[in-house]
Amino acid sequence: MVDISFLVISVLTVVCAIASLELRSLIYGSIALMGSLLGIAFFFLLLDAPFVAMFQVAVYVGSIAVLILFTVMLVKRELIFTKIEDPKRKYIGVGLMLILIVGLGSVIMDSGLKSISTHSAPIDFNEIGEDFLTYYWPALVIMALILSSSITGALVLARRENIENEQHTN
Amino acid sequence: MIEITSMPIILIIILGTAGVFLPIISIIQKKTISSTLYWIISLTALLFSIFYVVYRLISSDTLSTFSEDVLTIDLLGNLFAISMLLVAILTTVGSLDFIRKKSHSSIYFSLILLSTIGMVLVAYSTDLIMLFVAWELMSIPTYVLAGFLKKNPSSNESALKYFLFGALSSAIIIYGISITYGLTGSTNITEVIRIFSTIDAEMLPLSLLAISMFIAGFGFKMGLVPFHMWLPDTYEGAPPTITALLAAGTKKAGFAAAIRIIIIGTIALNFDWMVALGIIAIMTMTIGNIAAILQKNLTRMLAYSSIGHAGYILIGLSTYPLSNIGLQGSLFHIFNHAIMKCTAFIAITGVLIAIKTTYIEKIKGLGIKMPITALGFTISLLALAGVPPLNGFWSKLMLFGAALDAGSTYSWMYWLAIAGVLNSALSLAYYGWIIRKMYFEGEKITTIKEPRSIIAVMIFSILFIVGIGVYPEPIIQFTDKIIFQLTMFLS
Repeated sequence: MVDISFLVISVLTVVCAIASLELRSLIYGSIALMGSLLGIAFFFLLLDAPFVAMFQVAVYVGSIAVLILFTVMLVKRELIFTKIEDPKRKYIGVGLMLILIVGLGSVIMDSGLKSISTHSAPIDFNEIGEDFLTYYWPALVIMALILSSSITGALVLARRENIENEQHTN
Repeated sequence: MIEITSMPIILIIILGTAGVFLPIISIIQKKTISSTLYWIISLTALLFSIFYVVYRLISSDTLSTFSEDVLTIDLLGNLFAISMLLVAILTTVGSLDFIRKKSHSSIYFSLILLSTIGMVLVAYSTDLIMLFVAWELMSIPTYVLAGFLKKNPSSNESALKYFLFGALSSAIIIYGISITYGLTGSTNITEVIRIFSTIDAEMLPLSLLAISMFIAGFGFKMGLVPFHMWLPDTYEGAPPTITALLAAGTKKAGFAAAIRIIIIGTIALNFDWMVALGIIAIMTMTIGNIAAILQKNLTRMLAYSSIGHAGYILIGLSTYPLSNIGLQGSLFHIFNHAIMKCTAFIAITGVLIAIKTTYIEKIKGLGIKMPITALGFTISLLALAGVPPLNGFWSKLMLFGAALDAGSTYSWMYWLAIAGVLNSALSLAYYGWIIRKMYFEGEKITTIKEPRSIIAVMIFSILFIVGIGVYPEPIIQFTDKIIFQLTMFLS
């Protein structure tokens, strides 16, 4: 049962990921991205990590993907991606991807991963929370700085200079 | 749990506070504040940080190489932290005249400070999660800084390319981390290395896959061939001061991470990686130098030269542990290259401010037009070429000497030394071409007023490059102690 679910979810996730890159319409692309992110949440469920799955749905599908959707609706999307891509590059990309998949797959399949027992004890989320506030606390501080730099950086890049200059003149 | 009073945390507090408050100051002040104020705040924070690191280095004997915590305070981390803080200081000083007439200077300096925290923490990280988070803090501000000249299409292209390749490298690193965690059940590098040294033979390919992921992921930032494609376009399009930060700072952070994980990890796995690293070293230096000689733009030429230098550094990494001098030479060259390349790019910033172009044909007579900038640029180029008695000579001598030393065990290592010497000679040709344009070409030339911030950087760098060239002993001894620490840890 798990194997069938894994295959179905894998196909859906990968197809949605490819669609989110390939679709010319940004709206449909964003919806496909939501599908791909949702697929990853299902993987977490299969891996007995419902807590992470819940976060994946709440953060990525619930807020980030919706934010992207709103952003797409607010910008002049007809000006984006007017140039048609060279198909040769696409074929080279697909070829490289297949080589990578086969290479990685063969290394993973040949390794001793199959012998690893999957019947491990359930994850203690209290322990994860405790680790975040003790062992990993500097990493949490750094994440706050990453968010701070991302927000200020995004504001600078997204701000329309001509409007800003007009406001200064007025 | 790491103490709040430990050195990396104090650095986060100093630089982080300044970095976060700079944009807030610019928002709450209704009157437009001069960019000089932001410059002073950033410079003070950086100077305070570097003095603190040097003070702690002198006052306490740091002997632990790896710790059970997410961060460690060791000599390897200290060397990288000092190099990166020096680069950040030179970039900040050199930015004053460049950013003066541009908007959002507070955010510009803030992002430099935040990226510096990331670089320093990459050097001190002994946990894969911490390393990745620090790596992202180092990278994300530089994506924005590369595209800071919003109205310049090449700056936009530079930022986009850098972001896409940076995101790809981060994805590869996180894949490597996930495989490592799956194999070892830990993210602490000390624990990972301990488990790697006793790993089952059937799990070895998967461990090597993880190490390969790290080589590819960090290799993007280091500019190793074949992961170098983004580098010339990004360096060319980004503001030249930021190019200095990328070439001298973030690139070196890649090496810090590589030494902690790849070199130590492969030794723990008892896997002979020397041939692979040797081939990458020869390819990187040869492709970098051949491509550099074909360029007509200073920034692009130095970008390719930067790729070449990554190859030289890799010679030392590929000879370790056959020759300790190799890794010592790599560390010394990383330190030297940070200063030399930063000086060269800051000199280009001065050229761009004064004559609005970076094409080699347009810098004729620069030696008379801008004497101090041209002198600093020339000294840095000669040091990059490895001309004695400048600092680059000693580190290259150690690297090539180590390859010759290791040649007695593996004869193919002689080729590393031969390739290194030939590439150095090749690089002297294009550096010499730039110097010729500056000093021996051009007519009816008048002097141009040189930006004061650029003059300050040039004078400091000339003294630094010549000073270390004449008296390299302290740095060599310092790197020797680092190797001693690493050897103790591995044994």
